Amino acid sequence: MNLRTRTLIYAAVALVLLLLPAALSPMLGGDRLATHLAERNEPPSWTHPFGTDWLGRDMFARSMKGLALSLGVGLTAALASGLIAGALGLMAAALGKAADRFITWLIDLFLSVPHLVLLLLIAFVTGGGAKGVIIAVGLTHWPSLARLIRAELLQLKSSEFVLVSRHMGRSNWWIATRHLLPHLWPQFIVGTLLLFPHAILHEGAITFLGMGLSPHQPAIGIILSESMRYLSTGMWWLAFFPGLCLVVLVRSFDVLAGGVHALVDPSRSQE
Amino acid sequence: MTLITAQWMPVKIALSSLLVLLAGCSAANDAGETAAGDSSKPKRELILAVGGEPDNGFDPTTGWGRYGSPLFQSTLLKRDSGMAIVNDLATKYAISEDGRTWTVDLRGDVRFSDGEPLTADDVVYTFETAKASSSVVDLTNLRSAKAADGDTVELTLGRPQSTFVDILASLGIVPKHAHAGDYAEHPIGSGPYAFVQWDKGQQLIVERNATYYGELPKFEKLTFLFLDEDAAFAAAKAGTVDMAYIPSAFSKEQVAGMRLESLPSVDNRGIMFPYVPAGGTTKDGHPVGNDVTADLAIRQAINFGIDRQSLVEGILEGQGTPAYSIADKLPWWNPDTVLADGDAAKAKEILAEGGWKDADGDGIVEKNGTKAQFTLLYPSGDVTRQSLAIASADMMKPLGIEALVDGKSWDEIGKLMHANAVLFGWGSLDPLEMYNVYSSKYAGVDYFNPGHYGNKAVDGYMEQALAAADEEQANAFWEKAQWDGTTGMSGAGDAPWAWLVNVNHLYLVDEKLDIGEQPIHPHGHGWPVTSNIEQWTWTE
Repeated sequence: MNLRTRTLIYAAVALVLLLLPAALSPMLGGDRLATHLAERNEPPSWTHPFGTDWLGRDMFARSMKGLALSLGVGLTAALASGLIAGALGLMAAALGKAADRFITWLIDLFLSVPHLVLLLLIAFVTGGGAKGVIIAVGLTHWPSLARLIRAELLQLKSSEFVLVSRHMGRSNWWIATRHLLPHLWPQFIVGTLLLFPHAILHEGAITFLGMGLSPHQPAIGIILSESMRYLSTGMWWLAFFPGLCLVVLVRSFDVLAGGVHALVDPSRSQE
Repeated sequence: MTLITAQWMPVKIALSSLLVLLAGCSAANDAGETAAGDSSKPKRELILAVGGEPDNGFDPTTGWGRYGSPLFQSTLLKRDSGMAIVNDLATKYAISEDGRTWTVDLRGDVRFSDGEPLTADDVVYTFETAKASSSVVDLTNLRSAKAADGDTVELTLGRPQSTFVDILASLGIVPKHAHAGDYAEHPIGSGPYAFVQWDKGQQLIVERNATYYGELPKFEKLTFLFLDEDAAFAAAKAGTVDMAYIPSAFSKEQVAGMRLESLPSVDNRGIMFPYVPAGGTTKDGHPVGNDVTADLAIRQAINFGIDRQSLVEGILEGQGTPAYSIADKLPWWNPDTVLADGDAAKAKEILAEGGWKDADGDGIVEKNGTKAQFTLLYPSGDVTRQSLAIASADMMKPLGIEALVDGKSWDEIGKLMHANAVLFGWGSLDPLEMYNVYSSKYAGVDYFNPGHYGNKAVDGYMEQALAAADEEQANAFWEKAQWDGTTGMSGAGDAPWAWLVNVNHLYLVDEKLDIGEQPIHPHGHGWPVTSNIEQWTWTE
C-alpha cells in the first residue's frame, strides 16, 4: 500500500465519521429526545448506549443531534470565513498598495483582540441565539487564512514561472487560471477545512458560556456545560461520551484536511 | 473564565470531559474522614452556607428581611412556626373601627446593640424612611406614622388594609440615631444577632446580641459563607460547614455526619398564561395577549392534563409537593383549588367541548384555523424551571397542545411575558402577593399579573379581603377569590396560571444541630431558614 492509498483511506474514514452524526440525527428524533421521567439518570446500557440525562432523555440521540447542529453551524461559519478570507486575501495581493495596507491593518486589528472576547461581543450585539453564534463565528475566523492567501499570492506573483509566462505574452487570465489557481486552491480548501474544527469548538465555547443557543437545544457545548452540574454526583457519562465525540469529530477534520492537502497540493501530491 | 485566552478555551472544554472520569471516581471516598469535629466542649459557633448574599445590604427600609427574618433588626410582630401572628417588639396592637388606624404599644426594655433604647420615634422613623425609599417595601397606603408617646405608635392608612399586619411582621426597626449613609453595610439593630464583619462576596460574621430582649440564641457566633449550591455541597462533604443548602439534584447523596432536612415551602413554580387575545401593546410598545392561551379550554385542559406528582418525583427527586395555587397550605389558601390532575381524558374532553379538534391529523388540535401552539419561556439560567418547562411541554403534547420551549434572559422575558406563557415562581407569607399577581389593577405592572388577568368577581373578593377588619375575615375572602363555587382564579375556574410544584428547601444539617420547628418557607432558598434562630440547639 503506497502513501497515496493510505492517505486516501484515512481521509475516507474521517469523512464517514464526520457524516455519521448528520446521517443518524434524523433517525433519532421524536421519542428518544422526549422526557421520560421514569428512566432518568441511567448509566450507559444497550438501550441507551450513552446513558440518559436528568430528564430521561437519551444521551446518544442528544449527542448526535448536538454534533449535527454543531456541524451545521461549523459548515456555515467556516464557509463564510473561507469566502471572506479568500476575497480579502486576493484583494490585498491584487489591488495595489493602498488596498494591501488597509487589509493587512484590518487583519492585524482582528488578530490583536482576544478571539473569545470578540466572539462574545459579536454574538451579543447580533442578539445571541443560533444566528448570533453563526455570525460571530463566521466573522472572526478569516484573518489568519486571509493573511496566508495574501502571502501565497504575493510569492507566486514574483515566482519565476509566472514572470516567464508574463514575458512570453500570456494574458492575466491565463496566468491566473493556469498558474495561480492550482497553487491557491489547495491552500483555500485546506484552510477552510481547518477552520471547521475551530468554528465548532468556538461554537461549543460560546454556548458553554451561556451566550449562544437556548439552553435546552442539544448543542454539544450546552450538553457539556449541563453535565458539569452533575459531575459531583458521579454521573460521568453525561460529559464523557459527548466530550469524546467532540474530540473524535475534531480529530477527523484534522485527518481529512491533512489528507486533502497531501493529495491536491501540486508541490506535495507527487510524494 | 474571561482570562482564558481564545486558543485555550477549546482545550479546556475537551479536557473537562476527561476530568469527568476522575471526578466520578473520587466523589465517593472523601466524605468519611472529615465529618463532624467531635470536640467535647459545647459548640458555640456555627458555620452556615445557606444562600447568596443580599445585593443591597442589610437595611430593612430598602427590603432586607422581607423574606425570612432580618436577623440584626427586630420586627413589631412576627409569625410563629404555625403561621400565627405573635408579638415581638409590640406588647399589643389595636385597629380602629374604620380599619385605618393601627395603634401599636411597644416594649419599654428594648435596646439596640449599641446600647441606645428603642423608642416610638425609631419606629416612626423606620416607617417614614421605608415609605420614602419606595423600594420593594410597599407602603404607598401609609398616610402617616406618629409617636403618641414614648412607647406607642399610631400608623394611619389611606384605606383599610388587612395585609398591613404582614408589614408589621416583616419590617425590621432601624435606629434613627445611627441610620446614616452606610447603614446597609454596618447595620445596628435590636435583633438576636449583632453585625461584626461583612466581606462582600465571601462571608458575613455575626455575634450574639447580649442585650437582646427575647430568648437568647444558644450560639455565640455565626459565620455565613456565600457559596453557590455546588460549592456549598462540596463544603458539606468536606465537613467544613455545619449546614449547607443544596439543590434537589443532590438530595440522594449521603454525607457522613449530616442529615437531609427537606423543609416544605410555598416557593412555587407555575406557568403564567396571557389571558387576553393578541392585539394590544404595553406603554413601552411590547405586545400583549395570545390568541391560544386566551382560550379558557386550553388553560383548563393544561391544568387538568399535567401530572404534577410525576413532576415532583422526576424533577425535584420527590423533594417538593404538587402546587395548585399561589399560596398552598397557607392560612388564606382554599383547599378546593386542588384538582384531580394527570387526567388526559378529562383534558381532551375539555378541549373538545371548547371546540378544539385535530382536523389535519398532525397531533395538534385547532380551532377556527388557529393551532393550539404557543411559546413557553423560562429564564435560561434556572435549571429547575428549564426542566419543568420541558417536562410539562412533553405532557401537553399528548393532549394535542404544543408548547414551544425557549430559554431567555430576564430582560428579554420582561419584554415578551405579556404575549407568551412564562414559567414563573412566587410564594410569599403575605397574602398581598395574591392581590398583586391576580388583581386587574396590577395588570402589566412590573412582574405582577403579566398576563393581564381580570375577573370582576375575583377583584371584588380581593378588595373585600384587603378591607377586612382582621385576618380571619380577610382569609375567608381570599379563599373565595380562589374559588367561590362557581368562579375564581383556580385551575378549575379561570385558570390564568397552571401551578406545577412547590419546591422543598433542602439543607444538609449536622446531625447534632437541631434547627427547631420551621415555618413554611417563602420564595427564596436560604435566609428564611434562620427565622427561628433562637430555637436552634446543639445536642451531643
